[in-house]
Amino acid sequence: MQDQTAETPRGADLEAPSIDRGPRLSNVARERIAGYLFVAPDAIGLMIFVGGPMILSLSLGFFSVSGFGEYAFVGLDNYRRMLGDPLFWRSVQVTLLYVIALVPLLYGVGLGLALLVQADTRFNGAIRTLLFMPQTVSLVVVALVWQVLVIDKIGLFNRLGASIGIGSISWLGDPRFALGTVIAISVWFLMGFYMLIFLGGLQDIPKEYYEAARIDGAGPVQSFFQITLPLLRPTSFFVLLVSTVTAVCGSQTFDLIYIMTKGGPANSTSLAIFYIYQQAFQFNEYGYAAAMASVLVVVLMAITVLMFLLTQGGRFTNE
Amino acid sequence: MVEDSNNPTTTRNVRRGPNRRQILAAGVAGAAITGFPYVSRGLAAQTLKFWQFYAPGGGVPSQDKWFEDVVKGWNASHEVKVELVYVPNNAYMDGTKLPTAFASGAGPDLFIISPGDFLRYYNGGVLLDLTPFMEQSARDDFLPSVIANRMVDGKIYGLPYEVEPMAMYYSVDAFNEVGLTEKDVPKTWEDLLSVAKKLTNQKRYGVLFETNPGYYQNFTWYPFLWEAGGDFQTKDGKSAFNTPATVSALKFWQDAINTGVAPRKPLGGGAWDSVPNLGSGYCAMQNTGIWAIAQLREGAPDFKYGVFKLPTPPGGKYLTIGGGWAFVANAKGWNPKAAGEFTAWALGSPKDGSTGRIVDWCTKAKSDMPPTRSALEAGKAAFENGFLKIFTNEIYPGARAEPRMPPPVYKAISDAIQSCQLNGQDPAQAAKAASDQIDSFLSGYKGAPIL
Repeated sequence: MQDQTAETPRGADLEAPSIDRGPRLSNVARERIAGYLFVAPDAIGLMIFVGGPMILSLSLGFFSVSGFGEYAFVGLDNYRRMLGDPLFWRSVQVTLLYVIALVPLLYGVGLGLALLVQADTRFNGAIRTLLFMPQTVSLVVVALVWQVLVIDKIGLFNRLGASIGIGSISWLGDPRFALGTVIAISVWFLMGFYMLIFLGGLQDIPKEYYEAARIDGAGPVQSFFQITLPLLRPTSFFVLLVSTVTAVCGSQTFDLIYIMTKGGPANSTSLAIFYIYQQAFQFNEYGYAAAMASVLVVVLMAITVLMFLLTQGGRFTNE
Repeated sequence: MVEDSNNPTTTRNVRRGPNRRQILAAGVAGAAITGFPYVSRGLAAQTLKFWQFYAPGGGVPSQDKWFEDVVKGWNASHEVKVELVYVPNNAYMDGTKLPTAFASGAGPDLFIISPGDFLRYYNGGVLLDLTPFMEQSARDDFLPSVIANRMVDGKIYGLPYEVEPMAMYYSVDAFNEVGLTEKDVPKTWEDLLSVAKKLTNQKRYGVLFETNPGYYQNFTWYPFLWEAGGDFQTKDGKSAFNTPATVSALKFWQDAINTGVAPRKPLGGGAWDSVPNLGSGYCAMQNTGIWAIAQLREGAPDFKYGVFKLPTPPGGKYLTIGGGWAFVANAKGWNPKAAGEFTAWALGSPKDGSTGRIVDWCTKAKSDMPPTRSALEAGKAAFENGFLKIFTNEIYPGARAEPRMPPPVYKAISDAIQSCQLNGQDPAQAAKAASDQIDSFLSGYKGAPIL
């Protein structure tokens, strides 16, 4: 132990005379390296767990895959098959309807709720918690509870309908209503999340703008359209992008369909993501499913690029 | 602690926390400790992994115990051990667990399949031929109608442990409520719709058929197709779907919905689930299988019900369908020979107690019909008792094996059923469209025979 106390303590080398270790990096270079090192874990993780599987999935689309280790190169056959598959096109049509209805609804409801509960009061705090609550419940539970609520004849909604003279409606069993019901349940489940995003966006808007507008004689509607909406541009971009991706291939979408309708009745809720799942895991058509998934990714990328171009990525200027 | 009171600088520079080497060493030690179970598991003697949805820890204790007992019995007398691996039902039936395991070359050594999945795994080359592991007498013990759809070219690739015929169940109270008795149970399709109409009120449907799309819905619809004299394939391998029989079976289910006597959505897991539907009073009659006896016994012990065989169309002959699961062994698994021996020992070797196991499964763990003659004889007392007696004497004799068909054929039929039942499509058009799809698929099909 005596020997150890005689040693130069750790850290003391900071004060020791400097040793020539070759040319030192500039501060800018060191910062750049530090930046890359910070990003590296995420980038490597993304490459391994997202980029790699995406490339593999894209390649799989050119093969016929048995599901038992046999692969046969088939070129563009899977893509040609897609063109002539009425069920694929039906699923695309259902997906389009779903996206066109769900995205604006989520935007409107999320923003509307955020505006209603943005004032920082105890009551609003409780309401925000209640509105966010569905997000904390397992989607399986959500789907099962809603299934009972909307069941034919004896479900809550049908009982309410019966009390005002409306006959029983099969909300999930009638092709005319099933997709609409799934959309409504999706909105109920997701609205709390988007409300929270909009609340964040609203808090970023300086109060002075509203005060100035009020002094200038602007009413609430004018303030909303002239101040709130334009200044929510980055938030709006984020919400539109995320809700579109969620609607096309989000796990919430898939789970609800899988539990509540299994794509039925009569394929009326068979979204593309569900049809891809069926082809891969129920019919062992992995190659075909991969080809459809690749098309879906390309379509989503195109939508994203379009959104970026139209909204400048949610930025206010071309900075 | 290093401290030199004469040198404050030294004292200040001494690190009191762990140094980098110590952190690294602690990390390595931590990884070793936390990784130990995996290491030890890796080093442990290899076992045959048996995937199913009953044990250990399954939802029904009697069925869990049966699987545990079978494996315990084998492990006590054999060198190569079997390990049960529980896969939740929904992850097993339509889930990704089994397909992804085989796709990645890591399929289980032993697993269970229904006839609906037979071709998928047989055509994939992973089902082991079990014939060499069985004596001729044991092979002959299986009822031909039950074992046929687990055979290819005279070889057996799966051993069933149950047969689950479909029937109609009715609520005695609901019948009494509208002045009906046991004598009024419907015998024809027309009767069924008429009785269902009487039983329908503001809170209850008269009858329930499956409406959720999937293999199970097809399974429950096939007997109506057969009763009307239809089929899906001719003897020379072409579609037989576009016939008046198909049209009438599709129309029968469509009428049940259109007349408002049957719901568009069942409660619970689906129309196989008797407690939330018949037991709860949601419907007065339900089309479901023999397993409902055990379901109602466990879930609604005070519920009064009756069972009757499927009604027939005008001029039709009574038939039903006999589903059920089978043990299969993975031909590309770790030890196919031992897996084959286990399968035969468990269910295809009366001298090793397979008959008793099947009887126990069908009468104690579940309520099913046995797939072997010896089990039918050995469990006679139980099979001639209560509701099982109705199945033994009236329902089971009309059972035809569940068809095995590739997914495209199943899907074409499923779409026809769904579009007529729930979307008002003309049954004749649906039958033709499905038939064209089946023909198009069959013309290029090269797998094992579709039965």
